[in-house]
Amino acid sequence: MEPETPLLWVLRDSIGLTGTKYGCGIAQCGACTVQIDGAAVRSCVTPASQAIGTRITTIEGLSTDGSHPVQLAWTEFDVPQCGYCMSGQIMTAAALLHKQPNPSDADIDTQITNACRCGTYHRVRQAIHRAAGMHS
Amino acid sequence: MTNKPHDQQDTPKTEGMTEMDRREFLTTTAVVGGAMVLGFWLPPRSAQAQTGVAAEPWYRESLVPEINAWITIAPDDTVTIRVGQSEMGTGVFTSNPMMVAEELQCDWSKVRAEYASANRNVREKAPEWTLKVPGEGLSDPAGGGAPVMLGNANGVYRRMSTNSSGSVREGRYYLQLAGAEARERLLLAAATLWGVPASDLVAKDSVITHAATGRRTTYGAMAARAAQIQLPDPSKITIKSPDQWTLMGTEQKNRDVPLKVTGQAVYSVDVRLPGMLYAAAKACPVWGGDVRSYDFNAIKDRPGVHSAVRFGGPRTRESAVGGGSRTSGGHVSGGVAVVADTWWRAKTALDAMPIEWDDGPNATLSSADMRQAHFAAVEDPSAKERIVIDEGNVDAAMGRAATVVEATYTLPYVGHAPMEPGSAIAIVTADRVELWTGSQHANSALTAAAREAGIAPEQVFVHQMFLGGGYGIDNGNTRANQQAVAVAKTLNGRPVMLMWSREEDWGFGLRPRPMGLGVLKAGLDADGWPIAIEVRTTGDYSGDQATRGLTASPYFVPNYRFESRPRRFHVPFVQRRATGSSINCFYVESFIDELAHTAGKDPYLYRRELIARNPAPPKPGVGGFNQRDNWLKALDMVAEMSGWGRPLPEGWARGIAIDDRRRTTRPHTTVCAQVHTVSVSRRGQLRLHRVDVALDEGFSFVNPLSVRKQVEGQIAWGYDDAMYQEVTIRDGHAVEVNFDTYPISRMNEYPREVNIAFFKTNKWLYGTGEEAIPQVAPAISSAVFQITGKRIRSLPLRHHDLSWG
Repeated sequence: MEPETPLLWVLRDSIGLTGTKYGCGIAQCGACTVQIDGAAVRSCVTPASQAIGTRITTIEGLSTDGSHPVQLAWTEFDVPQCGYCMSGQIMTAAALLHKQPNPSDADIDTQITNACRCGTYHRVRQAIHRAAGMHS
Repeated sequence: MTNKPHDQQDTPKTEGMTEMDRREFLTTTAVVGGAMVLGFWLPPRSAQAQTGVAAEPWYRESLVPEINAWITIAPDDTVTIRVGQSEMGTGVFTSNPMMVAEELQCDWSKVRAEYASANRNVREKAPEWTLKVPGEGLSDPAGGGAPVMLGNANGVYRRMSTNSSGSVREGRYYLQLAGAEARERLLLAAATLWGVPASDLVAKDSVITHAATGRRTTYGAMAARAAQIQLPDPSKITIKSPDQWTLMGTEQKNRDVPLKVTGQAVYSVDVRLPGMLYAAAKACPVWGGDVRSYDFNAIKDRPGVHSAVRFGGPRTRESAVGGGSRTSGGHVSGGVAVVADTWWRAKTALDAMPIEWDDGPNATLSSADMRQAHFAAVEDPSAKERIVIDEGNVDAAMGRAATVVEATYTLPYVGHAPMEPGSAIAIVTADRVELWTGSQHANSALTAAAREAGIAPEQVFVHQMFLGGGYGIDNGNTRANQQAVAVAKTLNGRPVMLMWSREEDWGFGLRPRPMGLGVLKAGLDADGWPIAIEVRTTGDYSGDQATRGLTASPYFVPNYRFESRPRRFHVPFVQRRATGSSINCFYVESFIDELAHTAGKDPYLYRRELIARNPAPPKPGVGGFNQRDNWLKALDMVAEMSGWGRPLPEGWARGIAIDDRRRTTRPHTTVCAQVHTVSVSRRGQLRLHRVDVALDEGFSFVNPLSVRKQVEGQIAWGYDDAMYQEVTIRDGHAVEVNFDTYPISRMNEYPREVNIAFFKTNKWLYGTGEEAIPQVAPAISSAVFQITGKRIRSLPLRHHDLSWG
């Protein structure tokens, strides 16, 4: 494919990993969030060429069976409604917890900027605190 | 490869994260023109989580016995329950099966859900005995409630729409009947086998026991027999009332959640079929317009580009100013799609392709023009459509009032803004259509696809997916389905996925809630109580949506006049979460707040007094305000919960609002009262700190956990309407088409404290998917006024300077 093809479309259309979603194409919503070398990255504006030689983790790779603490916490709090934003939310949350194992509410405010049209923020916040608690 | 690569061995385990390593991979990406190769490790297709929902949730023909159209049972007691509503986050994939399983008395842990088949709904009819709603209607806890939308929906899956907060209201009785009938046939099968009366048997958790002899068997063992047995008189079947429920009424986690936290849930945009092509589409952004010309030659040599397909044209409909443009089958606008081997290639080629539009007669309209037309319409004595409620003598009462209060409120167009863009996958052959879509209306998707393809509905198969948000977006519309079918018709049976870009989805794809204008006037007596209220409104809505909440004042007033004059444009408005209530409640609750302030009285106590003054007992029946006692209950509960009256710091205030979403032609209500605790800094920075909600649960909810989630989400929705959202029209088309100009609030603005309490009332509810939205904007606006002295009469708040002091 063309090297400027956004990583999001390589993942979805060329590789067939459809867990990462398209929401805006302009890095505004976070639905496309993957991890590149452990950092949360919006793949809709990341040219695939920039990803060569990096370690890319998508939602499918976060765990083999939904057992990542963030996924467990999300299930415990029954977080998703329509679920479309959730891959991006979870990848962002997992990246945050990797950097800051015990984030404050203020940390969550500034680091979890993903859009959720169903308005699940209440439970996302609780689940992140819970996932942080699972490590300690 | 058998050895772990060097660096992977040294890498510390990172919380179960699976790393992709370039050197342990299958290269799956072809090199194109030497551009690049990306190596990926493909994780094995995760084993289907034990969730009871397939990642691809559409209907499958069953390999195990089907007891009735709703239920199949496998030898291991796995029960598959078909769901006629669409899962877009309201939890129907859990609550609908709960209603069946309650009666079926099967092992709930072994229930799986899948979508019902819209095609079967065309071909098969529901059994005659299921068409009658048991019981005595709205106030009968033992009955089936009062469905009002079933009409002639007599296909085997009855109602396959998900809107109007109606999944439980409309479907509960026939889902309970389906479960009960299956249970009775399973019991009869065992009874027949054992030669004992069925009444001597007990069914629980998929096990049938005969107490006298200790014999037992399972649903799985009896399924094939039960599938063959018919009950002598199924009309004798009764359904359980809430005091008998063991599963309904309990908190159940949504069964699709495990799929949604692992990226496995398949939405329409995720379907991948062998040989599938991709299409990106643009339709004339001025609704009702068409393509004049396009130059495919300019892009045809780009890599992967296959073809361009025109759809919906030539001009499919009249679109005169004022005629409105609600679709009833034809394409809203003509347009063109580019087909390619990936969506990105299709989209970028489409963006590069020169297109000339024929915008039609609405190409100069702007929001300002529409607003002006509204001001004229609300006064227009000659308006053809006009609803008038005229009680007492408003003019005389106004004349003798001690004080007159007047206020004019305006509301903008607002969009649904779902996160998943419109898309559909279609295969069209000479005699068959297959459509994969996430639609709120599987029936309508089927008939629209049939019409577009020119193929009989019996030969159209709709495969429903999870929806990445609905909120009413495809009421009366079929999103990108029509376009997908139009493109598929050119591809000789090859599948195509047509997907809109975000800009197309929120631009052409906009189906907004109408803009509105409300002109309100009240005459108050010397003590500040209203003796006359006049409400005049205009907007795109007519009928029930225009009048809901306004045909009778919930606040007692002896002289009341309400006039509603629809005024439409070419904008294809449609229902959007909370529909007409989201407009009318803003007028009513804002205005009553103004009256309370004028009277020098507390906003909660002022409302309370006026509600209490309504005559008792409340009149039954549709439309009128007949929920006096339930409103008082809700108001008192939320005032107490929120600590109403307790001191707050400077710059903080509490706003209160209440609504019940009643409508003129239906008897149902869901009463909901809210208090919003808000602060505004002197510089005008607003912060919503806390929301308290008192919500009517009627006789009972089906799944209280799902309701709780819905209310939490509706607070964010209402907040966005209050604070940010507005679609302006310029040159006939929508301006705000992506997140940068049409904001959705994020985590940092969501209130840190949300308290939700339920209270029972003696009736079946309207529903809970929309009922906590209308109160948000007026409650926040009330608090803003109390802090800043600035009265908010138009939304969104971001246009207002909230600085004070």
